[in-house]
Amino acid sequence: MKKTDTSRREFIAGALLAGAAFAGCSGKGNPFEENAADMVKPSGEKVKLLSVDGEVIEVDKAFLKPVPHLPPVSNEEARIGIKGKKFVMVIDLSRCKSLKKCQEACDHMHHVHPGQNWIKVYPMQDGDQTAQYWQPTTCMHCDEPPCVKVCPVDATFKRQDGIVLIDSERCIGCRFCMAACPYSTRVFNWGDPGLPKQIADQPYSCETSVPQKKGTVGKCDFCPDMTRKGELPHCVSACPNGVFFFGDMLEDSVTNGSETFRFSELVRDKAGYRLMEELGTKPSVYYLPPVNRNFPFKDEEQDADDKKS
Amino acid sequence: MTTHKHIHLSVILLLFVCTASMAQNTRQSLLLNLGYYNDNNYMQYLKATAKAKINGKFQVIPGVPVSFYIAQVADENLLGKAVTDVYGEAALPIPAMARTLWNSGPKQTFLAVSTPYAGYESAQTDLDITKAKLKIDTAAGRKIIVTLVQLQDSTWTAVKGADVKVAVKRLGGDLNAGETPTYTTDSLGSVNVDFQRENLPGDASGHLVLIAKVEDNDVCGNLSKEYTVPWGVPSSYKTSFNERTLYARRGKSPVWLEIMGYSIVAVVWIVLFYLMGQIFKIKRMGRQPFNG
Amino acid sequence: MDNIIKNKIIEDLLPRRFGNKGKLWFGILLVLCITGLVAYARQLSKGLEVTAMRDYVSWGIYISNFVFFVAISLVGSLITAVLRLTDVHWSTPLTRIAEIIAVAAITCAAVIIVVDMGRPDRFYNLFTHGRLQSPIIWDVIVITTYFFISILLLYFPLLPDFRLLLKHNPKGAFSKLYRFLGSFWTNSPGQIKINERAINILVITIIPVAFSIHTVTSWLFATTYRPGWDSTNFGAYFISGAFLVGAGGVLMAMYAFRRAYNLEKYITGQHFDKMGRIVVMLALLYLYFNINEFLVPAFKMKKAERDYLIGLFAGDFAPLFWFAIVCSMFLPIVILIFKKGRRPLPAFIAGLLVVIGSWFKRYIIVTPTLLHPFLPMRDVPGSYRHYFPTWEEWAIAIGSLAAMLLLITIFARIFPIIPIQETITETEQHDNP
Repeated sequence: MKKTDTSRREFIAGALLAGAAFAGCSGKGNPFEENAADMVKPSGEKVKLLSVDGEVIEVDKAFLKPVPHLPPVSNEEARIGIKGKKFVMVIDLSRCKSLKKCQEACDHMHHVHPGQNWIKVYPMQDGDQTAQYWQPTTCMHCDEPPCVKVCPVDATFKRQDGIVLIDSERCIGCRFCMAACPYSTRVFNWGDPGLPKQIADQPYSCETSVPQKKGTVGKCDFCPDMTRKGELPHCVSACPNGVFFFGDMLEDSVTNGSETFRFSELVRDKAGYRLMEELGTKPSVYYLPPVNRNFPFKDEEQDADDKKS
Repeated sequence: MTTHKHIHLSVILLLFVCTASMAQNTRQSLLLNLGYYNDNNYMQYLKATAKAKINGKFQVIPGVPVSFYIAQVADENLLGKAVTDVYGEAALPIPAMARTLWNSGPKQTFLAVSTPYAGYESAQTDLDITKAKLKIDTAAGRKIIVTLVQLQDSTWTAVKGADVKVAVKRLGGDLNAGETPTYTTDSLGSVNVDFQRENLPGDASGHLVLIAKVEDNDVCGNLSKEYTVPWGVPSSYKTSFNERTLYARRGKSPVWLEIMGYSIVAVVWIVLFYLMGQIFKIKRMGRQPFNG
Repeated sequence: MDNIIKNKIIEDLLPRRFGNKGKLWFGILLVLCITGLVAYARQLSKGLEVTAMRDYVSWGIYISNFVFFVAISLVGSLITAVLRLTDVHWSTPLTRIAEIIAVAAITCAAVIIVVDMGRPDRFYNLFTHGRLQSPIIWDVIVITTYFFISILLLYFPLLPDFRLLLKHNPKGAFSKLYRFLGSFWTNSPGQIKINERAINILVITIIPVAFSIHTVTSWLFATTYRPGWDSTNFGAYFISGAFLVGAGGVLMAMYAFRRAYNLEKYITGQHFDKMGRIVVMLALLYLYFNINEFLVPAFKMKKAERDYLIGLFAGDFAPLFWFAIVCSMFLPIVILIFKKGRRPLPAFIAGLLVVIGSWFKRYIIVTPTLLHPFLPMRDVPGSYRHYFPTWEEWAIAIGSLAAMLLLITIFARIFPIIPIQETITETEQHDNP
């Protein structure tokens, strides 16, 4: 008795939803995905397109796929962040071969000064007898960020979606955040960042961290400009081995572009951990231990250094 | 005399051929791929990818101008132009002007032509598309039924043996709804999937968006269809953003810190202002005569 | 009291014109300051890349200089406040020297911290967008407060002297300044009462504020996780070090002013004897804190601290570390523990050793920790793994030290460096108990 009730209820609910979803498809995006409305705002400009059924439809430019140039997010919005999301990253250490494609992509897309790297790939060995492995290290976007605690002018801040950003228009260059960060993830623009004039003249956006300014701090920003468009950060897309998984913890899902997993299952089943957990910073980047690797660990830079000395 | 002329001529010819072939060699060949995309049986667009072989490896080429055409390469068939981005992709939503040609039959041809750019010669590619539709439905016991049909003459017929992905839509990727990411359609053009994800967070009311995808199908291109189901749990959204913490923004420091800080500063500075006032008191006293 | 004696005291303690040595001293300081300004102009135009600081050693000698200045400025509270509160009278001639060192040092601390900023043009952000949660904001608040207290503690005891200076030479140099600052002082009992009460209030208030400035400065390091900085000991460690370097600075200044202005009758051998003993006690105290700070972690040798500690004791930083310890603590103790060592010249040398050793000790506190981060130093240019200051950094650091000395010199030129009225009062009380 109860079973048929629920199935009828589900059917009606499904039908209602389908009808509403269809109505929603009239150009405003899925109304049940409140986050979609939060993330992409209609620009007001409409284009006339052809639907699959051969009908002429009007679509707001902001909802075209791939999304064309989005209007930049204001400073206030950038400080608040995207509602209802908490971004996490899972890095699978068993896959990393230190190809540094992540570094290349990140440096390129953020116009990072040569010599600086927002992602660093460290050769790690926790104990004398334990495994050697490569550890790509981004900003941890800690839930209790020591860098944010010490900033005197609110130039670095934590948003409601978990991302920690830097406002290069506010930063006074005191470098206290760099001293406070135990993960050594922040870099400083000691001199002129050397950007082409066209990029240097753009207004600064906290979400793209471009253009960098002389005398201010820079770091990985989890590419919020990409996630607003529903795309993945550049390092995630660039890695050929699928080392980086990125996603929303509140959706319980992380993806590296081709594989998607439930975040809670992935971290639990593969014994994920966070760096320097004992410091209490509560990082948002989880690491999967380097087990079952089928390639040898080779540190060419260290070998070269050892040869010299 | 004639032998001289012959030699001169052949030398000139040789030079001409050499320069002609060298000019050819400086123009590299570009590999252009065209894909058709259809979202939710509603919006459709074309995407062209430009690649070239550099140092033995294929790399994407940004900045290439691409023109899209329907049915044939002609000015009146031009759908639009786009330039490849950093990923080497140029996308164009199919505009309303293609309506008559699109409604003329079940099959359609799209073409992409790239203009010569930065040492790459122009390339052209075409794509034949048969109109197709993906349907999602659900059945009791959290079963998902996805059907793929294509238009033959005027009827929609089932497509068998096509690969379909059935997943839950997530940020940046799709979480497979069943045991495996991909299923193959049977003779009725359907796949049946048991929904595997228990207690998956959905939106505030616990709704999930299922997505069925056909990727790079030879006949119908890339299709996707979404369907909302109430099979998730309401997502619990907790953030300390509005709390008073040591890592909060400017006006949100912990109460104990504000009390301590302001009261200490107030006490000391009240004393300082009092003392500065005392200087003026001494000054006033000094105006009265005193013999000492 | 005999007017002759009174006038003699006034004459002895008047601010005097620079002699040849004074002019040379002033000239050298000025040249050093200007060189510092030129180097800073370069830094302003090109950015902090003119320094040797890079992503790992992100704080260098500007910050260690800052800590040094804040440390020295604590001498004001020590000599003026602590000794006054304990009703000690022998220290009266030294109070103004101590206060002007304090004011000059805290001023130069503020200057050097702005020099260290990557964007000094955004300095106002500290006030318009300041976050109360940040230790830097606490530092700005307490340093500003301490500056004003020290100025007041300089001014109130100075107030009675203006009348004497004006009486002695109504039309002399700076008489306009004296008139503006204190012509209303008539030495009436009412004024004296207010003045003394004000000084007492200041003396009580300055002690917690002085403790705060150096504790909060130590928290710039102790609120981070780094090995060598992550210590609960830091507040007390820094304060004891500050008292030591301040006392050493006073020993030097005492000797210099005594020699320059022939003040043997006012800064006597007794003063050197007593200050010398104080320095011995403070050096032993600082040594105690150093033992706690270094030996206890060395007993445990935690992974993060191991390389750092070995580097200090026996590695790259060993020569500098042992030099700082020996020079700022051991040698001064050895010199001053003997009565012969507490004579003026040996005491001056001991004070000089304390100050030099302490400057390098501050460098040892700041830089080695930064070269031992938790994660390996990779994916950075090779120059990031070492630090030796560039000429611009040296010029600016030395320029700021010269600026402090310049401020003290200018003050001594304008105002009497030993309180005249207080000396007269004390002599009277001594003669007629």
